Amino acid sequence: MKRRTFLRAGAAGVAGAMAGAGGLLAWSPRAHAATVTRTLYITEGFTTQPDGVDVYARSFADADNRLQVPGAPFIVQEGDTVSVTIVNTLGTTHSFVIPGMVDSGPIAGGETRTVSFTADRVGSHLYHDGENAPYNRLVGLHGGFAVMPSGSGDELYAGSPTFRKQYTWVMTEIDPAWHERVRNGRTPNTAYTPRYFTINGRSMRVPGHPDYGNPDIDAGYAPDTRLSGAIGDRSLVRILNAGMAMHSVHFHANHVEWLARNGQPRADVWRKDTLMLPNDMGSLDVIYPFEPPPDAWPPVTTGYYPMHLHDEMTQTAGGGFYQFGLATTIAFK
Amino acid sequence: MFQYLEKYRKEGRKGSGGSSGACYVYPDAPATPGIVTPDVTFERSVYMNGSVTMDDGNSVRVWGFTEGGMMAGQFPSPAMRVTEGQIVHTVFSNNGMMWLHTIHHHGIEPSTENDGVGHYSFDVDGTYTYQWKAAHAGTYFYHCHTNTVLHAEMGMYGALIIDPPEGPGTLYAGGPSYDVEAVWACDEFDSSWHSLDWDAGTCGADVGLNDLNPDYFLITGVDGAQSALTDPRVAVSMNRGQRLLVRYINAGYLPQRITFGGLSAEVHGSDGRPFPRPVAVTSLTTHSAERYDCIFAPSRAGTYEVTVEYLDWVDGSVLGVARTRIEVA
Ligand SMILES: [Cu+2]
Ligand SMILES: [Cu+2]
Repeated sequence: MKRRTFLRAGAAGVAGAMAGAGGLLAWSPRAHAATVTRTLYITEGFTTQPDGVDVYARSFADADNRLQVPGAPFIVQEGDTVSVTIVNTLGTTHSFVIPGMVDSGPIAGGETRTVSFTADRVGSHLYHDGENAPYNRLVGLHGGFAVMPSGSGDELYAGSPTFRKQYTWVMTEIDPAWHERVRNGRTPNTAYTPRYFTINGRSMRVPGHPDYGNPDIDAGYAPDTRLSGAIGDRSLVRILNAGMAMHSVHFHANHVEWLARNGQPRADVWRKDTLMLPNDMGSLDVIYPFEPPPDAWPPVTTGYYPMHLHDEMTQTAGGGFYQFGLATTIAFK
Repeated sequence: MFQYLEKYRKEGRKGSGGSSGACYVYPDAPATPGIVTPDVTFERSVYMNGSVTMDDGNSVRVWGFTEGGMMAGQFPSPAMRVTEGQIVHTVFSNNGMMWLHTIHHHGIEPSTENDGVGHYSFDVDGTYTYQWKAAHAGTYFYHCHTNTVLHAEMGMYGALIIDPPEGPGTLYAGGPSYDVEAVWACDEFDSSWHSLDWDAGTCGADVGLNDLNPDYFLITGVDGAQSALTDPRVAVSMNRGQRLLVRYINAGYLPQRITFGGLSAEVHGSDGRPFPRPVAVTSLTTHSAERYDCIFAPSRAGTYEVTVEYLDWVDGSVLGVARTRIEVA
């Protein structure tokens, strides 16, 4: 059975993706542009959803024996030369695209191609597969690509409000019927009805569930999603929507500073607790300020809170299982 | 505090994982940490037998919060209104009931225990006093945060307004004034969800809560097909020279586009925070749980028909429309 040869997203793969990044994205500015070289392997496999259902997926992985949805995040500096080698281990045609920066063109099954480009657009982007659009992107061929302003380690764009830490959250929905059609080389032919909702490839678990607290599975504990900080640990969150639905992103305990939408800096920085995330590769950039929760009495500086989508259909898995959807934890330490 | 939370981590009621009974709920009603004498108190309990009559004659079941022990339920739930700086108690009684609920004051940012999110603290089984301080004037709402996807859809929400020290008539401290005020909480119903039990889906049964197909479109509990055009809870009558504040709340789960019938709104803030500079708009596109504070100063008499279009979350097509009016004499 072919499926047994497929890869499975699991502890090893996810832990490997974390190595060197320390969970959240670490970055040190450089005085000069550099050449950044990476290899991405186009792979396929299955991911296990909170209700136990295995769903077919494809990914841009760091190794050919791994399924990694989303692909490992990039963080580069404005002006860097980025050289990405794409190894297509599948039999189907794929591509590597960052709108406005690079388009590899079709890469046939079994083919390897290297693309080089200059990272000249500061901000938060999605890389993705532009072939068979939008289906290849939806089944997992996407990842975050951040371009830091030249010589800066604490700004979204030159002159923006500053931060101490940064995260990339890639959000998406999963309609398993669509994934199954893509697996079989067919075009989805049913109305898009997503049943699972993920942030950096994972959904939430809650106390009482066996996977609760497992950072490889539980989006509330995965170090690349969980916002963890002490008072003053201002955290930039690059929110990228690889899916097809518009979402409402709701933060508890602090209002965020809203810096950009779809890569465009906002004329004024508004403080919001709930923001609309545009669909189809839309984005938001916000700073979670880690200020003492302003309405606490007596005052507090520690606590645990959710970030969740407020279009609450996204808080389910498989049509029920409230709390097992697209959410993570904000930990005030 | 850590120990305190660990307690709930261990005691989450897991259930059988089958298709009946409640799973992943955290019943408790502890003492409020650091409780003090409040400046203002709201009492809330629950009704689960309400109904709303739609313009087509159909009746749709709703749940909500009542004020104190009153059994008759209004929809939306009764508003809370406080003044900036006040310490507030929301005393939530859910005693001896077959169901669990919480109160989350959306946009209010209190301690974990008082945030009303079941899986980070507890679902109220008994009486719990939520204690919080109203730090920032503006427009908020409160809603249940247990099996939220269902409970908020069923109508378990009400407006929450914080006035600045100047009191009603001023939006925020040193901010713009208004003479007439309206709260438009715009929501859509998928009536097929409204026969589900309070714990539907929590053990993993597929009860369709991923798929919202709305068939009714409401403004502040009134059917927007016809009734909201004239219902005094929604429609506005004002005179030239007066200033109208509309506190607009997206109380549904879908994007909405609200268009002000040719009037221009000065939007002064959102989510309980003033903007650095107000913005002038003739329509707003919003998503679930956003709030916008819109001031109108119409100079010409007339009838302005406001439309709220409820949009498909994928393709943005209009799934339904609710209408009301601003009548300027
Ligand atoms: Cu409830
Ligand atoms: Cu809310």
